[in-house]
Amino acid sequence: MLSDRLICDIIDSAVNSGADLAEVYLEDIRYQSVGMLNGRVLKADSGFDSGYGIRLMSGTNVVYVYSNDSDENVVMKLTKEACNAIKKGDKVDIIALEELSRATMSDIKIDPLDISKLEFVDFLKRSSSVMTTFDPAITESSCSLKTTNRISRVVNSKGINKVEDDTRIRLAIEAIATKGNEKQSSRVSPGTLRGFEFINEYPVVEKTRECCDKAIRMVNAGYAPSGKMPVVINNGFGGVIFHEACGHALESTSVGIRNSCFTDMLGKQIASPLVSARDNARIKGEWGSYDTDDEGNSSSDLLLIENGILKNYMIDELGARRMDSIATGCCRRESYTYAPTSRMSNTYICGGDDTHDDIIADTEYGLYAASMGGGSVDPATGEFNFAVDEGYMIRNGKIAEPVRGATLIGKGGDVLMNIDKVGNDLEHSAGMCGSLSGSVPVTVGQPTIRVSSIIVGGRDSDDDCDTCE
Amino acid sequence: MDLEFAESFLRKIVDRAIEYGFEEAQAAYSADASMAVEILMGEVSSFENSSGRGISFKGKLYGQMGRSHTTEFTDEAIEFLISSAADNCKVLDDEDPDFIYCDPENSELIYCPVNEAYEKNTYNRFVELGLSLEKNLLSYSDKIKAVDYLRISCSKGPDLMVNSKGLRVFKDSDIISIIAGCRAESGDVVKSGSELWYGNDIDLFDEKSFIERLASRLLPKLEARSVKSGSYETIIENEAFISLYGSFISNFSAYAMQKGLSLLKGRVGDKIASDCFTLSEIPMYEKAVNKVPFDAEGVLTYDKDIISEGVFKTALYNLKSAYKDGCKSTGNGFGGTSVTNAVVKEGKRSVDEIAEEIGEGLLITDLSGLHAGLNPISGDFSLLSEGFLIKDGKVADSVEQITIAGNFYDIMLNVKETANDTRALPWANGEFFSPSVWIGKIDVSGED
Repeated sequence: MLSDRLICDIIDSAVNSGADLAEVYLEDIRYQSVGMLNGRVLKADSGFDSGYGIRLMSGTNVVYVYSNDSDENVVMKLTKEACNAIKKGDKVDIIALEELSRATMSDIKIDPLDISKLEFVDFLKRSSSVMTTFDPAITESSCSLKTTNRISRVVNSKGINKVEDDTRIRLAIEAIATKGNEKQSSRVSPGTLRGFEFINEYPVVEKTRECCDKAIRMVNAGYAPSGKMPVVINNGFGGVIFHEACGHALESTSVGIRNSCFTDMLGKQIASPLVSARDNARIKGEWGSYDTDDEGNSSSDLLLIENGILKNYMIDELGARRMDSIATGCCRRESYTYAPTSRMSNTYICGGDDTHDDIIADTEYGLYAASMGGGSVDPATGEFNFAVDEGYMIRNGKIAEPVRGATLIGKGGDVLMNIDKVGNDLEHSAGMCGSLSGSVPVTVGQPTIRVSSIIVGGRDSDDDCDTCE
Repeated sequence: MDLEFAESFLRKIVDRAIEYGFEEAQAAYSADASMAVEILMGEVSSFENSSGRGISFKGKLYGQMGRSHTTEFTDEAIEFLISSAADNCKVLDDEDPDFIYCDPENSELIYCPVNEAYEKNTYNRFVELGLSLEKNLLSYSDKIKAVDYLRISCSKGPDLMVNSKGLRVFKDSDIISIIAGCRAESGDVVKSGSELWYGNDIDLFDEKSFIERLASRLLPKLEARSVKSGSYETIIENEAFISLYGSFISNFSAYAMQKGLSLLKGRVGDKIASDCFTLSEIPMYEKAVNKVPFDAEGVLTYDKDIISEGVFKTALYNLKSAYKDGCKSTGNGFGGTSVTNAVVKEGKRSVDEIAEEIGEGLLITDLSGLHAGLNPISGDFSLLSEGFLIKDGKVADSVEQITIAGNFYDIMLNVKETANDTRALPWANGEFFSPSVWIGKIDVSGED
């Protein structure tokens, strides 16, 4: 949308105004989506958006301007405003642009943007028809399929000239079960950087049935008890607890301004010796992957924690300046309307030695969080909260009755130290992460783990519990 | 972009759509300009400036309402908008008709409250204010160790819409917001807290009261402890009540009821809250920064009680859901159904006076995890909470690391009193005003 000549003019103006780094980010996004509700197609959407952002840095002073109006007068007006606002630093040399390179972490055989919306509908009907006929208790159902192609280009005064071209697909299936005035929903929402072959191979009928079963189980469940107790967290999306309780506090966005409970903790024990964790953006085809980050650095497979010892933070260029360190290729943004910052990609606790069944059998009493919902964290204090979408009591080493309405709360540092079992069944699960630079696709992951003690926010006390702490 | 050009472009889209075969068509132009300054450690850490624009189109074809969007302003973009919307109509299967609307007596809707106060929003003014605010926050108490986030921003943008029924809508609005997040420390204890101010005249910002409110809420957290699990008489403070109540506001949408996504279906006229609870929608509320004279479908808004003295008076309708129920739109069509300015009627007594009557209980000031810890349909919630113990009739020790768990519908029926301390937060398509609310007993999970 902006010519190379104009891009070079912007960079020249910025550096001449005192910026020690000038960056132009260009983005084109194409998408199409279809959504069904209660067996009918109620949403069909498609679009094409493009825009650009200009970022100037001078030390830790940052100026960011953006627009989707590519008229040269508008571009240069924004550039001038940015140049006027940047702190004047020492003059730096502009490095000649490297040859344009293209990269992707997509693994595509069938381009989903070549698939018609009618085929989207045909696929969704397979899920919808299961939900509308499964059981009278399933009273509402929805499903949707969206594909997005994002082509981003980063050009900067250090000579970076890179294009990232990724196509993602996300499927969402939700069943709602009703019992009297009670309603409980169950949801499955896989996402991938693979092509439409992922959808063709997806066991949609089986997964939809599981979803319906879970909604019915939960609507018939009693409330979770309150109080401190051991909690076994299932693999896959259970990893959201690590993402929130630890991952965000390891981003330089927080650490760089000392607003993290893990500031100055490199080389120190921050988790149980059973815990190792990574942030790996380089898994081909994985939902949270990318080859080049949104400031032009190559992504990495970063070891965050090894046997409980903190090994690395996730650092972007601004964080590197604040922390006197180097960027780790983790700078991301939702779109050109956000200045980029340090973010997670595919973040997970590595597999351990125990089996899922052994962990349950070893737990006399507690809560089994089979499926987690979302949560949030305050990075400064480490205080977090997570919803348990599908929970069961564990009694005498066995999974017992289902319970609903549980929330887990605590402090990230405490929970990491209290992990006393790590399973061997690592799984990843797709999600969206919201933070300063908007909503970005991420994968969370973990094997089954057990936290020896955590506050469960439920309703009432459990009268059958005689082993609570 | 020149608004005359934008309007002629919109009319071209509508004309082309009708020529293509759409029965009805509507095109809207939206532009925005924003500026933001962030302050960190005595310096401007970030400055943002933006301008953006977009065109959205909707049109009825084969009885279905197709939509599309673009940011381009070319003839090719017109063809893209129309062909995309037409493609969408081919796959849509909605049994409920949707409409493009124009009231012949109100075919020209204009609302432009932006005044010269907007011109005060300059980079230099924001920087001066931000640096002063950071410095004064840090000097307020030696326990406030950092202002980790301080952002002053403003935005403004015209919206223009025309349709094939003869409607022309023009709206231009602006807003300024100031948000500061501070970190306080005492020994090994670290706590954070934030405060938001918004308005449309920067001269109305009162730095002193902003700092005092932020500090008065943050500093007590340093002494906070959990409490024993149990059932507590509880007051939910005004802003926390807004965040809780606001999370369930979609249940009042007629669309949600028609689709089986709200337990309020068929309950208009029923008692759903206690006698002391009245919730009104006042689109042009005098205390609201953002006033809303008409909705996004071109329907005039009007004052209404949603709940009056505990009785559910009306669901919220857009054109589509109103047709299905055989009634008129309530002016709540905002790309679906949404509320404008919602106001909970306040009572006579202060929180302190209510606490005196409660004797022993909790005052909840902050709720976290509202996006995950509640079921918007069933009304169940379990939320990380902070606040204060009420002891011997006084608001006393600070409380952390607890959850409160209950059900929205039960809470409405159990409301014992609303206080007289109304505050507001930006919410949905306007603002939500509420006083603190005494909700009776609620289950609390904490230390055993």
